Amino acid sequence: MTRLAAEEVKACCAASYGGEIATYLLGESFHPGGERLTRGLMAHLALRHDAVLVDVASGRGTSAMLAATETGCRVVGIDLSGDNVAHASAAARAGGLDRRVRFVCADAERLPLDDGEADAILCECALCLFPDKPRAVAELARVLRPGGCLALSDVVTEPARLSVAFGGLAGWASCVADARPVDQVRALLTDAGFEVTHTDRHDDAIAQLIDRVEARLRLARSVASTVPQIAAMAPRGLELVAAARAALADGALGYATIVARLPA
Amino acid sequence: MATHATPRADRDEVFLELTRSICPVCKVVIDAEVNIKDGRVVMHKRCAEHGAFDALISSDADLYMSQLRYNKPGTLPLEFQTEVRDGCPLDCGLCPDHKQHACLGIIEVNSSCNLDCPICFADSGHGPDNFSLTREQVAVMLDAFIAAEGDPEVVQFSGGEPSIHPNIVEFLQMAVDRGVRNVMLNTNGIRLARDRGFADELARLGVLIYLQFDGFDEATHVAIRGRDLRADKERALQNCADAGLVVTLVAAVEKRVNEHEVGAIVRHGVTHPAVRSVVFQPVTHAGRHVSFDPLERLTNPDIMKLLATQVPEWLRVSDFTPVPCCFPTCRSMCYAFVDEGALVPFARLIDLDDYLDYATNRVIPDLEVRHALEAMFSASATPGAEAALLACESCGLDLPDALSDFASHVFMIMVQDFQDAYTLNVRQLMKCCVEQITPDGRLIPFCAYNTVGYREQVRASLTGRPVDTVVPNAQPLAAMLTPTRHGSRTVASSPDARPNAGPTGRRLAP
Repeated sequence: MTRLAAEEVKACCAASYGGEIATYLLGESFHPGGERLTRGLMAHLALRHDAVLVDVASGRGTSAMLAATETGCRVVGIDLSGDNVAHASAAARAGGLDRRVRFVCADAERLPLDDGEADAILCECALCLFPDKPRAVAELARVLRPGGCLALSDVVTEPARLSVAFGGLAGWASCVADARPVDQVRALLTDAGFEVTHTDRHDDAIAQLIDRVEARLRLARSVASTVPQIAAMAPRGLELVAAARAALADGALGYATIVARLPA
Repeated sequence: MATHATPRADRDEVFLELTRSICPVCKVVIDAEVNIKDGRVVMHKRCAEHGAFDALISSDADLYMSQLRYNKPGTLPLEFQTEVRDGCPLDCGLCPDHKQHACLGIIEVNSSCNLDCPICFADSGHGPDNFSLTREQVAVMLDAFIAAEGDPEVVQFSGGEPSIHPNIVEFLQMAVDRGVRNVMLNTNGIRLARDRGFADELARLGVLIYLQFDGFDEATHVAIRGRDLRADKERALQNCADAGLVVTLVAAVEKRVNEHEVGAIVRHGVTHPAVRSVVFQPVTHAGRHVSFDPLERLTNPDIMKLLATQVPEWLRVSDFTPVPCCFPTCRSMCYAFVDEGALVPFARLIDLDDYLDYATNRVIPDLEVRHALEAMFSASATPGAEAALLACESCGLDLPDALSDFASHVFMIMVQDFQDAYTLNVRQLMKCCVEQITPDGRLIPFCAYNTVGYREQVRASLTGRPVDTVVPNAQPLAAMLTPTRHGSRTVASSPDARPNAGPTGRRLAP
């Protein structure tokens, strides 16, 4: 991939996921499994009140605020979308969490953090969006302290079995076009110096997300006058939904959580 | 150290709770335990006089356990009608120990009916000893309900068959005049089918129609209603549509009778212009009913699974949400909007458990959304209850302009399991929010009214004739049952109950 194409992809993803459309289609918590999976990942991180958690691709800040509220830790949320960062910062202020939770607009491939600054890292449903995955994972390894824990969830695929319906940028922003097989994700982490300790499948979570996107597209279609920009994309969106559901049934698409540690 | 430990066996059940119930035969209050066994939830209890009883509470223990989290803290009524004296369920009601106000009040205006259904929890029919309430009695009942609730949500007129009461329109008008927000008529539809003017009168009053509708097979009608009423039901629906009445189809579902028809009922409702919701009720084994096995009866998960099987393109079990105002295992609801003739459940639009799971400590739940959802997922929900959510700007479904158009495209499905004398559990009963209003101004939880003996008491006082204690027509009791004059069952020997041995009220001897 050329540099230009990669930047174009990032801008597309940030615009898609930062926009009103993503909020409309996906809700405030953008990733499959919602709070339930986030809690599962947090349990692995075993956050203490004096820990610093970095949430990479923090979206609207739901998980960052959940972690800060439940464990008392400090959180730095990183997101490429300025809209998301503004929204999440406002939500943290409204929740009285802004002394412990801050959000920064930055690229996951160039994290604005010092080496070893993070005690733990959370990265939900985002690795598939990063064009240069080895570089993004190397950044995670750089900012995590030795012995620190990374908890990650992501879409996983068998690319050879995915239908052509997912080609192009729209497919990319649907988290599918550049998602990898779970073994490749493990290898990426291992190459960057991580020890993978847990891998679990949560394909049911992606089934629920597909249901939600379909239901919201159909809602937009049935009341087209109030959300015209979404109603307009409904036919193409519903085609993608059908393709995603078929891929899920076929085992070509799924969702996984991976927990990894840096050696102490 | 012992080298040959005696092997110990584990129990084959998971003990969930010790609670209180009644003996289904003599109605004495007894302890009951609830266990999970083979993936099902089962109640076990023992009466000193009549032995042990086992009954199915839920056929899906996983679902039952997950429903428990949807338990909204109750709201106090403005006043209680009784005092705590003997404890639940003998002080109804409502007594000050009750955990919830009344979402829905039921007034049974008569016990006479133009049908003699083989299945009728009210034991109604063409008998010579029926009662018929006066306008003075109805006024007392409505005023008692308003005194307790202030601004009552729903009053449902029932019977018997309320549409054959000569003053029914006047009674409905009395409720409307008192400001009851939703006035509902529970009917078999025969008069609606044959008296178009009646439908127009109800439409003028804005009455909601709760229409018994059990299926499409002749055999279903004969088994549940004793007659083929298919033509009447369709004509009643047509008259409702023509008059502009909003209808809820209400299906009593019994094993091996109409289980196969639940999907067809939903499809019919979705396409019929008068119908906005469907309620499925596993047949209540109170009053008159056909012989049943208490361990093999239908429960809510069965109905949800039947729907998911029969309407797979629209519905899944996960599309149903427990109703938090009553005890959350009693009712589940699915709201859906109709898109190009197909149902799209609300549960797929937003994470309802972010708002309606009261047991988990959540981050910043949006109270406006929660309140809107509570109004929808309630025993008092009537067609249009989703308006609060759709008007709510913070839920991501900001659609105020489309509201009027959209509301006509929302469809609701409810599944509700009533308790019988086998399954009665005071834990559920104490949070019941559906109350029978009695002529002496009490509000008695529906499932207590039908099982503990209150119905018999009220009927005897209104007719001046003694009424036998009604006992479930359950297979294990078959040998001791005899028919009552209303068609229900009782035990031959009058139960002169001796006190059941139990620890409550005693102390350890010194």
